Amino acid sequence: MFYVSIFFQYAAQYLKTRLTYRADLVVEILSDLLFQAVNLIFILVVFGHTTTLHGWSREEIIFIYGFFLVPYAIFTAFFNIWDFNDRYIVKGEMDRVLTRPVHSLLQIVIERMELESLFGVITGMAIMFYAGSRLGLEIHWYDPLVLLIMVIGGALIYAGIFITLASISFWSDSKTDLMPMMYNIGNYGRYPVDIYNRLIRFTLTWILPFAFVGVYPSAFFLGRTDWYVYAFLTPVMGLLFLTIAVVLWNQGVKHYRGAGN
Amino acid sequence: MGNSAVYLEMIRIRFLMMLAYRTNYYSGILIYSINIGAYYFLWQAIYGAQESIQGMDAAQMTTYVAVAWMARAFYFNNIDREIAQEIQEGKVAVEMIRPYHYLGVKTMQGLGEGLFRLLFFSLPGMVVIWLAFPITFSDNFAVWGFFFISILFSFIVNTQINLLTGMATFFLLYNTGLIRGKRVVIDLFSGLLLPISFYPLWAQEIMQFLPFQAISYIPSMIFTEAFTGTEIYQALGIQLFWAAVLIIPIQLMWVLAKRQLIVQGG
Amino acid sequence: MNVVEVEGLRKEFKSYSSRSGLAGAFRDLFTRNYQVLRAVNDISLHIKKGEMVGYIGENGAGKSTTIKMLTGILTPTAGRILVNGMNPHKEREKFVRTIGVVFGQRSQLWWDIAVQESFRLLKKVYKVSDDAYEAHMGEVIATLDIGPLLDKPVRKLSLGQRMRCELAAALIHNPPLLFLDEPTIGLDVLVKMKIREFLKEINRKYQTTILLTTHDLADIEALCERVVLLDEGKIIYDGRLDQLQKNWVEGKQIHFEFHHPVERHALIELSGGADVKWRQGERCNEWIAGIEGDEEAVSQLMSRVIQQHPISDVKVNQASTEEIIRNIYEEGLTHG
Ligand SMILES: Nc1ncnc2c1ncn2[C@@H]1O[C@H](COP(=O)(O)OP(=O)(O)OP(=O)(O)O)[C@@H](O)[C@H]1O
Ligand SMILES: [Mg+2]
Repeated sequence: MFYVSIFFQYAAQYLKTRLTYRADLVVEILSDLLFQAVNLIFILVVFGHTTTLHGWSREEIIFIYGFFLVPYAIFTAFFNIWDFNDRYIVKGEMDRVLTRPVHSLLQIVIERMELESLFGVITGMAIMFYAGSRLGLEIHWYDPLVLLIMVIGGALIYAGIFITLASISFWSDSKTDLMPMMYNIGNYGRYPVDIYNRLIRFTLTWILPFAFVGVYPSAFFLGRTDWYVYAFLTPVMGLLFLTIAVVLWNQGVKHYRGAGN
Repeated sequence: MGNSAVYLEMIRIRFLMMLAYRTNYYSGILIYSINIGAYYFLWQAIYGAQESIQGMDAAQMTTYVAVAWMARAFYFNNIDREIAQEIQEGKVAVEMIRPYHYLGVKTMQGLGEGLFRLLFFSLPGMVVIWLAFPITFSDNFAVWGFFFISILFSFIVNTQINLLTGMATFFLLYNTGLIRGKRVVIDLFSGLLLPISFYPLWAQEIMQFLPFQAISYIPSMIFTEAFTGTEIYQALGIQLFWAAVLIIPIQLMWVLAKRQLIVQGG
Repeated sequence: MNVVEVEGLRKEFKSYSSRSGLAGAFRDLFTRNYQVLRAVNDISLHIKKGEMVGYIGENGAGKSTTIKMLTGILTPTAGRILVNGMNPHKEREKFVRTIGVVFGQRSQLWWDIAVQESFRLLKKVYKVSDDAYEAHMGEVIATLDIGPLLDKPVRKLSLGQRMRCELAAALIHNPPLLFLDEPTIGLDVLVKMKIREFLKEINRKYQTTILLTTHDLADIEALCERVVLLDEGKIIYDGRLDQLQKNWVEGKQIHFEFHHPVERHALIELSGGADVKWRQGERCNEWIAGIEGDEEAVSQLMSRVIQQHPISDVKVNQASTEEIIRNIYEEGLTHG
């Protein structure tokens, strides 16, 4: 209850600040849309030169992309921590965070949220509906529920990976560009992972499990029964990776050195 | 100009800074390999049974992808974000009274960073990739020469665009959206993800009038020998053209920015 | 009951040093040199409720590091800490509700939003009821005179204005223990006075315990009966401020301002048998004599010097705190 009221307090504050800098807000929403369009264009251009990708049709690949956008939007809205090292460790903002009576990770999540990213949920749903209707997919009564679970699982996987990366900053004093580069790798989970060799496939499934934020859960809606097991592992992986990340984070906070003078 | 020593020093310092961030170095190599690997398999799947697409065969495409990413290591830099940050923190006002050109310094820092990645990153990286994937290197010495000239222009054009996006902070105050948008546009329209020749004709025509192809498409096409003969000179000409033209908006924006600074008092 | 109980507290920082030159930097890619720096070296400290303690020491002595450990920001390398009956790092979230912290070097408020919005947010974060907030903060705002600043965003405030707001923000939950790390840095005399008055006031009213670091000894003189002196991570003095004064020098200081340049050895010859330390002052031709002994010795020295060298001014006074501290920094406590 306490956290809920804190959340709304911050959210209200956030909206006030954002509306002060409206120009940037508009540009940011537009750049989000652009980002979403870019990947779609990539798919469309590629399928201008081929009809199937390892047995998957254009609409199926587009559907996977649409699904991906939903957990991704939730992730970017709340886990805007790509500059954690710079901002909180090097500049020492963590000092302030640690003097407040709210869990440090939660504080950072709510003070850095970017609610406008949630527009991506709408784009993603629209793309899924478009591709789904082209494919003639039926909607069952349980589909919305499954979707919700898959989306939450996917967002947690993203959160887990990025929190883990952020936690590294507590130990290593040097700056890294790891996080921006990780965004690229997230893209590869959106293609049928059996196109890759065993190493990359293994990585995308168990080490950086981005395949669970794309092709695996989508396989359920696309009726690819051979991947149902993976599909239903999505929420499990999400919880697992988030737990690992939070444990690492809590350990990391103990290693926080403060801003070097 | 007596300033060239200063600029050289900037390159050297940035070079040393990059060496100091060793986590960055190791993780960078790992991530670039994964990127190139994933794209390699993706393109294998796209080619499927097809011999060639748009006049490029699968082996050329693999080379294209590898070279595009390795060239990116050289021309890519974050000076737009750095400039934006320095403007927001009011550091630029201080830089203005220093005896050198702020934008020149930023460019040199980017160059130091790029040289570092080219030497310690792209060159060893290329060897690794050459061992892992079927990549064809040209045995024509001239191709290598043209390629290096071409990526120098890539660096110039990309940096110019970064300077412009960074300076936009003078007028926007908060600028993260624009910087993010620019990055996405460059990845797509520069030919990093897809050779420009793969796009539908109407799109190709639009892109001809944009500076982005000068960043990635041209050097990669030269390296894969998809451009030959006069095509190469034409392509280098386009790069030179953009490198020259972009100076105009940069100068314009800089003058306006200075005025803005005087009005706002930093 | 002690509010702060610290036993054998230690903090070590591992710092990497880079080799010089390009070849060195290249070697750093593979192996790096590092040193262990003991920023806080086995200190023990006990503070009772309602005390105001001045924590002083040179730059880099380890003051901020100590405060960060006491507030739960840093984990100690070794030692036992109990603050307000809790281990700061273990029960961080519960613990920080019972303290207030101000770092003079760094803002605790949100940069973009109005001061009162920050206050409102903190009120929620610390679960302060409306009534308690009204009653307590009304007074704080009035005393610190920040009413007119409340609707301005923090980034538009001057340093002194911001500092007063920071102080108010740290007190929203009326904590029984307050840590202030250089709260008066860069402030003008009037703001400093206001802050000192305010701190005295809350200490009197709520028995608030205050631990404060500063480089302005006037702060300490105005506020603290007790000082803790830190040097290279070790406590070298912990006791009453006036005691420090007494222990350090029994004697007096005589400031001479001569008409002409005077050599040190000429002055030393004039000292005769008395125990006199000569030091050049800041102004030109100014010399300061530190003399141990009674008034008799002082007047004898003065007359001897004045006979030999014409003066334009002369003053006799007790050594100031600043003087004492500076001597300790320069020479250590050995003379004590
Ligand atoms: N994060 C850190 N990493 C490495 N060394 C540190 C770090 N923080 C502090 N130090 C070192 O620990 C020592 C004590 O620093 P500290 O900040 O506690 O000094 P201080 O007494 O507060 O000094 P000042 O009066 O300048 O504020 C210094 O030598 C400093 O270089
Ligand atoms: Mg300090």
